[in-house]
Amino acid sequence: MNELSPILVLEVTVRTLAVCGLALAASLVIGLPIGVWLGRRRFRGRVLGVSLVNSGMGAPPVVVGLLVSMLFWRSGPFGFLEWMYTPTAMVIAQVVIALPLVVGITLAAVGALDEDWELQARTLGIPPLYRAWLLLREIRLGVLAAVIAALGGILSEVGAVLAVGGNLAGETRVLTTAILMYTQMGEFELALAMASVLLGLTLVLAGALTVVQQGGRS
Amino acid sequence: MGRVSRLLVLGLALLPLASAAEDSVLLATTTSVRDSGLLDALLPGFTQETGIRVRVVAVGTGAVLRMGAEGNADLLLTHAPTAEEELVASGAVSKRTPFMENHFVIAGAPEDLAGVADAASPEDAFRRIASRPAPYVSRGDDSGTHKREVALLKAAGLEPESGWMGFATTGAGMGVTLQVAGERKAYTLSDIGTFLAFREVTGLVALSKAASSLRNVYALLRVSPERFPRVRAEAAERLEAFFLERSTQERIKSFGRERFGRSLFRPLRLE
Amino acid sequence: MSGARPALSVRGLSMRRGAGRSVFELEVEELDLWTGGALAVLGPNGAGKSTLLRALAGLDVPRRGRIERRVAGPVTMVFQRPIPFAGSVEHNVKAALSGQALPRSERDERVAEALEHFDIARLAGRDAATLSGGELRRLSLARAFALRPAVLLLDEPFDDLDASGQEALSLDLRRAIAGTDAAVVVVTHDLRRALLLSDRIAVLREGRVAQQGEREDVLARPVDTGVARQVGMSNLIPVRFEPPSHAVVDDQHRIPVLPREEPGAVAWAGIRPERLKVDVGRGEGQPIGKGRVLTVVSDGVAVTVTVSWAGHELRTHLLAGRGLARTIAPGDTVTLSVRPEDIHLLL
Repeated sequence: MNELSPILVLEVTVRTLAVCGLALAASLVIGLPIGVWLGRRRFRGRVLGVSLVNSGMGAPPVVVGLLVSMLFWRSGPFGFLEWMYTPTAMVIAQVVIALPLVVGITLAAVGALDEDWELQARTLGIPPLYRAWLLLREIRLGVLAAVIAALGGILSEVGAVLAVGGNLAGETRVLTTAILMYTQMGEFELALAMASVLLGLTLVLAGALTVVQQGGRS
Repeated sequence: MGRVSRLLVLGLALLPLASAAEDSVLLATTTSVRDSGLLDALLPGFTQETGIRVRVVAVGTGAVLRMGAEGNADLLLTHAPTAEEELVASGAVSKRTPFMENHFVIAGAPEDLAGVADAASPEDAFRRIASRPAPYVSRGDDSGTHKREVALLKAAGLEPESGWMGFATTGAGMGVTLQVAGERKAYTLSDIGTFLAFREVTGLVALSKAASSLRNVYALLRVSPERFPRVRAEAAERLEAFFLERSTQERIKSFGRERFGRSLFRPLRLE
Repeated sequence: MSGARPALSVRGLSMRRGAGRSVFELEVEELDLWTGGALAVLGPNGAGKSTLLRALAGLDVPRRGRIERRVAGPVTMVFQRPIPFAGSVEHNVKAALSGQALPRSERDERVAEALEHFDIARLAGRDAATLSGGELRRLSLARAFALRPAVLLLDEPFDDLDASGQEALSLDLRRAIAGTDAAVVVVTHDLRRALLLSDRIAVLREGRVAQQGEREDVLARPVDTGVARQVGMSNLIPVRFEPPSHAVVDDQHRIPVLPREEPGAVAWAGIRPERLKVDVGRGEGQPIGKGRVLTVVSDGVAVTVTVSWAGHELRTHLLAGRGLARTIAPGDTVTLSVRPEDIHLLL
């Protein structure tokens, strides 16, 4: 019988938080500016860009896992990086999954803004960086929705993370892949213990974000 | 934006982002081997002894063989002899070394309405199941277990494709398949390790007797460093040697007694 | 306007907006905005008022020509729709100052001053999303004003405000800019609103400046009938000039005008409604004949009366609640008078 050790659960949980946190942060840092840009400008390729984003939102994570694997295993174009079965590959796969979500929700929020918003801010002499900050404040409800959606997707992701991470003990095992493994092995108690931790994490994080979001409504 | 960049730096510090460490070897094996827990018991000893970290990737048999065929692992641990021979013949694998074995088991409900326990051979058992016809659950996923099942059905003169009334395919792992069989009070073919792990949950019992056609041989396959220069050949050789050395073979022999009251594997390299 | 100098000078400007079938071109040969002055830009929809404003704001690049800034200080524009930023009223004004690199104390001072000027200091902590239309307009102006702009561009600043709201806002706006050297440009399609603020007028038509100049000049002496209608000289009567000083409408109606040296090709006589007098004594003008009252419409402040005279419909204004305004009614016969100097002859 595998040991139900708190240290084991803790180690996997910390790794889960690190990988998911990094993936979420990267998705936001990359996705928010793209979403703002797509939401604001009217340019010729815009419809194409938005369609790509929308299809990305619907892309099955297992497909992402397969495609990222094909890039990073030794026989693939980026095999020389030796990123296969490392947390790096897991973060990349999760960013690929979460990015369309962040971009899509953000661009919808920006699109709902008054079309003269940007111009008004410019003619008041507000510098570009501060304008970006003001813009984020305008769409903060939308941004929070994007964060919550991305967080949910990232925390619950198992297929892609398993494919590119390999569920290596001590290296790339996270809560979802561990739960899957223990379930397959018949170690239901261990699986349930980890499931409770994952659910608890999700509740706390999503709950905290919701409080922030709803607080902004008043 | 400041908060986010701080998060990024923290994340980067926490993760071992760099490529796999110098002293590591990538071992690809099947989920049933991983699930048995044998590797968890054996491998820490290897790492302590040699300082080489074993990175174990457990996927379906087909995927393991494919990884070997494309040089995406250093050492394979599988139990699908025919496919393994093909890999050797193709040159993707430089050496195949069987090192332990056990037996598949035909499991079913204690009532055993088809009378498998009285069958003369595994082939006969399948004929009895098919002629009743009794419900049967197959993995259908090209795993080692599934391949054996197909071979047995053929040898019994039965059509593996069509099955019979009550023949179901899960396309999933052994655990799921056993659970479905338990629910339906159906028969199924399973490796001994997973069967024992799920015995309580499923309520199934082992009905078949040991026979040569149920023999399940596990082999180590060294992926060819000539064909695939990135293979960590030295580490793979050392790991293979570890599995074959006397102390490890002894431990394989006794593995499983604590949990199941019986061994799961029989070592092949003990004189 | 002593001591005034140009704040912004436009020379040879050519702007093009749109493409293909719906191209619009604006051409402005010469236009100056004076420090401490206010220019009203009038014209029908599509004349190019917004295009001009956007060009002055630097939002669009001219095809040709120069817009020279002659004074230091920001050029700020307030849009037709007030667009508040998410956050409090105070935050909105502070945000406007974010690009100015001011020490905190000065920034806070300016914010307070701007809110004071537009009478919204009591709303400082309120969420901008909860403000009424009028309050939002005041916020937009306070935001722009806090920048101490050298040039302030206003696009329909009185939109959606009722009469008293317009008056109150224009008073506050005038007081606010009185102490500064800001050159103000007000774009509007409504003459009355323009007159609340401006000392100069420019009339645009089909992408060209039809006329620009001092307010009284343009009001009293529009160059053609189009401009005349834009600036409220709504009484335009086809006439023939009879030297030395009469305009002939028909056999029964000859009106005395100021003597002219060269007759030119006079075709119209224009009279501003407020200059056309009804049933008054001699001192107020030359009688030009009798007319019949057609309609009497009062908006509480002024009474607009249309009178049929010599086959034309003329319009005039009376102060509500006073004398004649109380008794005049459709069907009455009245005597019309106008001073010769108030008759403007147009080609």
